Amino acid sequence: MERITIDPITRLEGHGKIEIFLDKKGNVENAYLQIPELRGFEQFSIGRPAEEMPRITNRICGVCPEAHHMAATKALDALFDVEPSSVVKKLRELFYNSFYVTDHTVHFYALGGPDFVLGPDSDPAERNILGVIHKVGVDIGIQVIECRKRNHEVIKILGGRGIHPVAGLPGGWSKAMTKDEQKIILEYAQQNVDFALFSLKLFDDIVLANQAYVDLIVSDAFTHETYYMGTVDENNLINFYDGMIRVTGPDGKEFVKYPAKDYTKHIAERVEPWSYLKFPYLKNVGWKGFVDGMDSGVYCATPLSRLNAADGMATPKAQEHFERFYETLGSKKSNGRFTPVNHRLATHWARLIELLYAAERMQELTKDPEITDPNVRPIITNTPTEGVGSVEAPRGTLTHHYKTDENGILTDVNLIVGTTNNNAPIAMSIKKAAEGLIKNGEVSEGLLNTIEMAFRNYDPCMSCATHSLPGQMPLEIQIHDADGNVIDTKSQYID
Amino acid sequence: MTSSIWLGAGYFYIDKNMKTIIIGLGNPILTDDGVGVKVAQQLEEIIDRDAHPELTITEASAGGLRLMETLLGFDRVILIDAYYLYEETNNPGTIHHLTLDDLRSVSPTQHSTSAHDTSLVTALDAADKMGYKVPRDFSIYAIEVENILEFSETPTPAVAKAIPIVTEQIITELSLKIR
Repeated sequence: MERITIDPITRLEGHGKIEIFLDKKGNVENAYLQIPELRGFEQFSIGRPAEEMPRITNRICGVCPEAHHMAATKALDALFDVEPSSVVKKLRELFYNSFYVTDHTVHFYALGGPDFVLGPDSDPAERNILGVIHKVGVDIGIQVIECRKRNHEVIKILGGRGIHPVAGLPGGWSKAMTKDEQKIILEYAQQNVDFALFSLKLFDDIVLANQAYVDLIVSDAFTHETYYMGTVDENNLINFYDGMIRVTGPDGKEFVKYPAKDYTKHIAERVEPWSYLKFPYLKNVGWKGFVDGMDSGVYCATPLSRLNAADGMATPKAQEHFERFYETLGSKKSNGRFTPVNHRLATHWARLIELLYAAERMQELTKDPEITDPNVRPIITNTPTEGVGSVEAPRGTLTHHYKTDENGILTDVNLIVGTTNNNAPIAMSIKKAAEGLIKNGEVSEGLLNTIEMAFRNYDPCMSCATHSLPGQMPLEIQIHDADGNVIDTKSQYID
Repeated sequence: MTSSIWLGAGYFYIDKNMKTIIIGLGNPILTDDGVGVKVAQQLEEIIDRDAHPELTITEASAGGLRLMETLLGFDRVILIDAYYLYEETNNPGTIHHLTLDDLRSVSPTQHSTSAHDTSLVTALDAADKMGYKVPRDFSIYAIEVENILEFSETPTPAVAKAIPIVTEQIITELSLKIR
């Protein structure tokens, strides 16, 4: 294969560009999704007071400001060496789960779900929230909007601002919860639980009841055996806000469990000459290329990964659905754990189980009498040095790492954002989808739709660079021959 | 009572009682991407807010659904955003005054501003279908930008020059009183 290096700037217009490289026989040799890389965040941050980071980093991305806010706040806890009080942890976790409800809702109803609700072969112009409303009814659309609305209100009540929260402080949270707010949020949490159960029922009725969809989910084209990463609590159950990072193998066994601060001991980043993307992998397994299996250090960090990496869900209804998920998809129990589900399209189902967990967890936390304890702002006395903070962003484990001088002025900043974890698995999924549809230089129909489904389930976040008008998100596929020449370009607009 | 101002040429018919929101869009720490936010901040500083109780000025780095949700309940929307054209036609600092239909034509319903969101036009159409009160009037200021991939709070010089011009244009369009 001829190696091609393209200046990132010239790729700007292709936010969703996929490059496929063919070998001499015209079969797929390599494929990857190209995401614009934002530059200079480290330089931008250095020299600023560290405590500004929760408010700065939440500007990185318009999609998950809450995740950056929380990872940054936790990095400050570590940096100033202060353990947040129990009420602070609960308020933060409540805020964070409310964000999860909004984020997973959008993905299922507006982005990933339409592939199923309308069918993978439907017109891409119809495969969006409008199409979903058209197919399943206006009432569902209203429920989606109302769900988002009430959770944005919770985010505003707890986080201080609607879109870019400001409440995170080193070891603290700027605002306590009043009893009146507790009452409102409890009601919303119940509505969230109902909505999540309704969404799972919809998935049952539309997807699981349709054998063709089930066959698609379990088909080899969308299956990869990799390591899985997720954050777990002391019982190895999923937690989005805090815990240990657990990695399990394709065999279902725990490979490693470590505190977030040790991430550099476990994660390394592979650089390929044909892409400016970095491909994180498990250092202690090693890089063997874009391949499946126990010997390949490729890992995945998604809703499916979190389910696979955990022993279960910490809330009762989500646990019921967790068990049903594995039993339905043919997983066996071994040493008290389900063997992993490797079908990437099952990520959509896993996402809904997480939605239910987030809603139930909101209920639990809001009911806790301690949640209205006003002691949320500790006095910081330690000299800052270095800190790592990590949360499960909806799109994967998010890590912030800061170093400062003795005055708390940043000297070093490193972030591993959620989607980055999945760069290698996404490339592998796209390659596999392309392999099925490109044979000896012949490109079959349906390439774009299939590839879109292959990467969509990862919910990759490319929004940081795509705020500007005209707001197009073209999915463009370029097929290169063995000499690196572009022999075919296909595109469609995705929603 | 409704009081209206005729701005001439039949293009704009302003109703002073119309609930209006001005939104500066973009990421304020991504060089030129934040140009809309900077215009909104400048308006916030100079407009006599007491004279305009019908007016809301805000900023957002959101697209699609989240942006649509912010707009519900308003009659009129002024959006200011960065505009990136293809390399060969892009001319940083150039100001385009667009309507929602223009946005629809450059970005038909299926397009998106983000992989994790739907486009504004799709979101508005969906809201309309669901019976929400969707704003009728859109006035969109789109400023051609140069750099939206590097972190910085300072726009490039050509784009920075457009900020006071757009600010002035919006003041004129809405007949706003300044302090």
